[in-house]
Amino acid sequence: MSAVAGDVPAIEAIDLVRTYQTHTGVLRRRPMTVEAVRGISFDVRPGELFGLLGPNGAGKTTTIKMLITLLLPTSGSATVMGYDVVRDTTAVRQRIGYVFGGDRGLYDRVSGVDNLRYFAELYGVEPSEQKQRIGALLELVGLTGRENEKVEGYSRGMRQRLHIARGLLHDPEVIFMDEPSIGLDPVGARELRQTVRSLVDAGKTVLLTTHYMFEADALCDRIAVINAGRIVALGTGADLKDAIAERTIVEIETFGVTDEAVERLRGDADVSAINIEERDQSQILLVQSDRGAHITQRLLSLLGDTRVGKVVAREPTLEDAYVHLIATTGDDEARSARAASVQ
Amino acid sequence: MSGSRTLRLISFVTWFNVKMLLSSEFFILLTFISPLIFATLAFFLFKSGGGTAGQTLLYVALGAGMMGVWSTTLFGCGGAIAWQRWEGTLELLVNAPSRYDYILVGQTFGAVVFGFYGIVATLAWGVLLFGMPLEATFPLILPLSLLAAIVSLGALGMLIATTFVLYRHANALGNLLEYPIWLVAGLLVPVATLPFWVRPISWLLAPTWGMEAIRGATIGADPPILAIAMCFILAVVYYVAARVTLVFVLAKARRDATLSLQ
Repeated sequence: MSAVAGDVPAIEAIDLVRTYQTHTGVLRRRPMTVEAVRGISFDVRPGELFGLLGPNGAGKTTTIKMLITLLLPTSGSATVMGYDVVRDTTAVRQRIGYVFGGDRGLYDRVSGVDNLRYFAELYGVEPSEQKQRIGALLELVGLTGRENEKVEGYSRGMRQRLHIARGLLHDPEVIFMDEPSIGLDPVGARELRQTVRSLVDAGKTVLLTTHYMFEADALCDRIAVINAGRIVALGTGADLKDAIAERTIVEIETFGVTDEAVERLRGDADVSAINIEERDQSQILLVQSDRGAHITQRLLSLLGDTRVGKVVAREPTLEDAYVHLIATTGDDEARSARAASVQ
Repeated sequence: MSGSRTLRLISFVTWFNVKMLLSSEFFILLTFISPLIFATLAFFLFKSGGGTAGQTLLYVALGAGMMGVWSTTLFGCGGAIAWQRWEGTLELLVNAPSRYDYILVGQTFGAVVFGFYGIVATLAWGVLLFGMPLEATFPLILPLSLLAAIVSLGALGMLIATTFVLYRHANALGNLLEYPIWLVAGLLVPVATLPFWVRPISWLLAPTWGMEAIRGATIGADPPILAIAMCFILAVVYYVAARVTLVFVLAKARRDATLSLQ
């Protein structure tokens, strides 16, 4: 029986902190404390699709691992369906499914269906239900007909779909997905998003981590942007976009731009943030400013003798909002999180 | 979890582990071939020393078979966990709603039961190639001896496996334990010929009593009641120790975040 009643959140994290002990050096080891998560609080309502968005190393996976009982929080508390993730581990585990992105987490040398049968046993799926449940999940993730092949021969997308089927075997109420679309081709990623959406339509609560802004925007009811172990913004996609609605984005295509030239742009008082997208032969500088397109000429002069291609001024997107949040909260926070204390 | 559900879980995990081990070329070599190599070397060594009597050959064959069983236990219990860690499935097993000690029991017995093929293979090898007589002085006790050996080795394997859950470099411990146990447990030479100070260590080891129980039932003068009893007593001690260790190990793994480290 679920402990959730009325408005009790499906997931609740209160001031979660997680630090790791590590060391530097080989002969003269210096112990070091890394703060991966530094006081995260949020809640997810039953039936909601909630996104945790942030760059690599922001603390997304660590947060998920605490919520699924794999890691103990250093401090703070969290509940899933009303059960405490530290004390009520079995109750939490019975109610959650989780899907990690990437190649790991499957038995490669046996078939896909053998993997599912094995985990069905471990997750306590009744023997009389196993065959029907596995068949339905194979259908859901599009692996019907390939289930008897060894997993080592599966493509990245097939492996990811098998991960999802495994995570849903025991019909969990809450599903955690940690970068599930990582490494998938565009078609596979779109199918995955449809699957995630259908889970929410079926009444499941989903917590999804990703560093793809468009994915979070397309799927999530609410998004928490996490950077250097802290939540730096929380709201709907529209809320996040509103934060920089008055801004203008100047996109400048450059060829061989130098770090010095980028630093000159950053140094300009009217420039709020810069993101650089590397292309085959060029770099696209995404410059955010509160001063509209008027500063375009000044930006070009600051680039000096850098070869410049197309220049476009446009309205901000959600991705720009994300870049702004990461850029304005990142540097100092990340430095202090990674080298929190050298004892 | 009901008794029948637990039994089903353990048997399913045992079956799955056997299937996984069978898909490993290294394990097949270890289980199917290495006992025959041990037996051949031992037969020639004993023959060159003048030990050609039928019972001596049987003594050697059983010892060589048990060497294979021990190697399989180490690899099948500890090595399998190291492999799961590498594959990223260890986290999933530890974090499943089923009790992890039941999962470990299934994994361990899958490896040990399979390893007992080594004894059958070396006996057949001895009969076919070296004219070894196949006889047992207490044929009715022999199945009980085999069961006692399997249970005690399985429980010891489970205890060893708990260290593999915690330490990613526990393979080194596995390798370290292989050859010394062959010697200390009296698999090739009797424990009585070992230095006096080594014997208490031998008495604490399941392979010592397992070997004693099987040899006692095949070539012994008296029924190996003490050895069989010691196998079951040690199995209980190992299992309780493994359960206690596991509680500590799993708590530490959650605290130190070691399960996903490769």
